[in-house]
Amino acid sequence: MITSLAWKNIWRNRTRSSVILGAIALGLFCGVYINSFMTGWMYTTVDDDINNHLSHIQIHDTAFSANNDISAYFPREKVEAAVGESGLVTAASYRLSLTAMLASANNAVGITAKAVFPEDEKAVSTIWQNIADTMGAYLPDDARTAIVISKKTADKLKVKLKSKIVLTFQDTNGDMQSLALRVSGIYKTANGMKDEATVYVRYSDVFPVTGLPENVFHEAALRTADLETCRQADARLKTLLPDMDVKDWGENEPALEMSLAMTEFFGVIILAIFLFALSFGIINTMLMAVLERTRELGMLGAIGMSKRRIFNMIMLETALLTFVGSLVGIIIGTALIVPSLSSGIDLTPFMGDQFEDYGFGSIIYPVLNVKMFVQIIALVIIAGILSAIYPARKALKLKPLEAMRN
Amino acid sequence: MNTIIKTTELVKIFRETAQEVCAVNNVSLSINEGEFTAIVGPSGSGKTTLLNLIGGLDKATSGSIVIDGQDISSLSEKRITEFRLHNIGFIFQAYNLIPVLTAKENVSFVMDLQGRKKSEIDRRATELLTSVGLGDRMNSRPAKLSGGQQQRVAVARALASKPKFILADEPTANLDSKSAANLLDMMERLNKQENVTFIFSTHDPRIMAKARRIVTLEDGKTVNDEAR
Ligand SMILES: Nc1ncnc2c1ncn2[C@@H]1O[C@H](COP(=O)(O)OP(=O)(O)OP(=O)(O)O)[C@@H](O)[C@H]1O
Ligand SMILES: [Mg+2]
Repeated sequence: MITSLAWKNIWRNRTRSSVILGAIALGLFCGVYINSFMTGWMYTTVDDDINNHLSHIQIHDTAFSANNDISAYFPREKVEAAVGESGLVTAASYRLSLTAMLASANNAVGITAKAVFPEDEKAVSTIWQNIADTMGAYLPDDARTAIVISKKTADKLKVKLKSKIVLTFQDTNGDMQSLALRVSGIYKTANGMKDEATVYVRYSDVFPVTGLPENVFHEAALRTADLETCRQADARLKTLLPDMDVKDWGENEPALEMSLAMTEFFGVIILAIFLFALSFGIINTMLMAVLERTRELGMLGAIGMSKRRIFNMIMLETALLTFVGSLVGIIIGTALIVPSLSSGIDLTPFMGDQFEDYGFGSIIYPVLNVKMFVQIIALVIIAGILSAIYPARKALKLKPLEAMRN
Repeated sequence: MNTIIKTTELVKIFRETAQEVCAVNNVSLSINEGEFTAIVGPSGSGKTTLLNLIGGLDKATSGSIVIDGQDISSLSEKRITEFRLHNIGFIFQAYNLIPVLTAKENVSFVMDLQGRKKSEIDRRATELLTSVGLGDRMNSRPAKLSGGQQQRVAVARALASKPKFILADEPTANLDSKSAANLLDMMERLNKQENVTFIFSTHDPRIMAKARRIVTLEDGKTVNDEAR
């Protein structure tokens, strides 16, 4: 009966309750939306970076990680054996990674050239899918010599598709080697910084002049089924290859992993701030509701309703107000997010592609996950209870007699 | 006859900033089961204060109040609230009812606080409202009822908890004389038929006339106590 009374009490002043209910709903709606959007943005960014550049796990010789020395290579069979034994890797690409200079007639830039087996590479990295139809192809078999560079690099060098450019690097003996290559494809990913730093060439084009023995590599890029298996595979490979440098995507790009954690953390903080601000409104509303009912609460005390029950009734009123408002906000927020879960939200009309220079994509796929809902609901419960306490205590301080005196 | 209320040398002093007001001054009073008693006296004579002390709504400065063998002056606030719930029915001059609840829900509310069974609550609320003549208005909210009807609901509510007695402080003060007389007739009938003990205060001579015992207060003292 107290629950139904509490609910009816909320609707004594329809306007006032609707306003605060609406404010709570709006706050929660924004909270859910922003959270889902920001988390989605980060996940999209992380996914893009893993797919295009990072892969799930990379393995290098320890010395290579320290100084990118061309002689710090590993034999393929060694890593291949460990990868096979780990059992969790779905695709692997073995690369030479050369610190090099790329020059056109107009300009020269420092880059890292990845010498790859195109078919293996396509299974690990989606760079080949980031070449627009008019921008050539990814290291095609029919090209005599080929290099894939990014749009950024092309712009810097002022070169186009089919232009000839020269790749220069030091071989194992310390002698300079130059290769004249033709641009076979120009790619563009969401991560402008990495685009600028990386070009792709065929292993078969580069290997003969490196001075390296056969079947040795600088880098193994591995893919697993998902982020969870990535963690397991990473742990297994670390024990299987104790003398090598095994790093998962987060270790390779700590800033990225950190941004992901920070985004989730800030989502909670923003919501907490919303709820904190809302709780003042809730407290104010409930305080008014208690004070204008002074006589009635006095009467209830007089006829034998205990202080504890009066306290509980006011707590319940506040809690109902908070929870119902929150529920409405969460439902609306979720309902508006669901359609864009798969189609994504395209930010290009608002922002252009300015974020891509910093590695963020322009189409955001929002994320809704259980963890987020648990956090939101926990915060709502805390806020509801905290803002209920003060008005309920106020109701306790009323003396039945004084309350009723005319 | 059973004595259900016994006050002994009851004193209540209010301390305002400078002066003291002795609102109830040494009142010793016994009230038996089945009485229909009016407390009368001029404004400020201490009627409300005395009823509040008897009802455990206020603490006496000195003296004792024994209700049905239990000294209530020694009870803690929590115990006295519980005691009121189970032993005393109240009818106030105004603000008796919860505006968001219907007549029936208002009557049921006390029984719900007492923890009675739902079926019993339902039956008793219907019974009581019918007996105060509101059988057809059970689902109306107080705002839809006249002042007299609201006070009838209050009477039904006071009876609902099966109290030992009912205290009514000027229950007719806000009513026109016809409604006032009707309410009093109804209370009188309940007193005669169901042996409900009523103690009420009033200014109105016509209401006083219905009482079977009249206690007159002046400056907090009992100056007259007559049975009729
Ligand atoms: N809470 C209080 N604080 C101070 N003085 C009070 C308080 N309550 C009552 N008094 C004083 O005690 C005296 C008795 O008041 P009480 O209300 O009991 O009189 P009453 O007989 O009910 O009067 P009325 O017929 O006007 O209702 C009055 O002088 C009043 O001013
Ligand atoms: Mg009075």
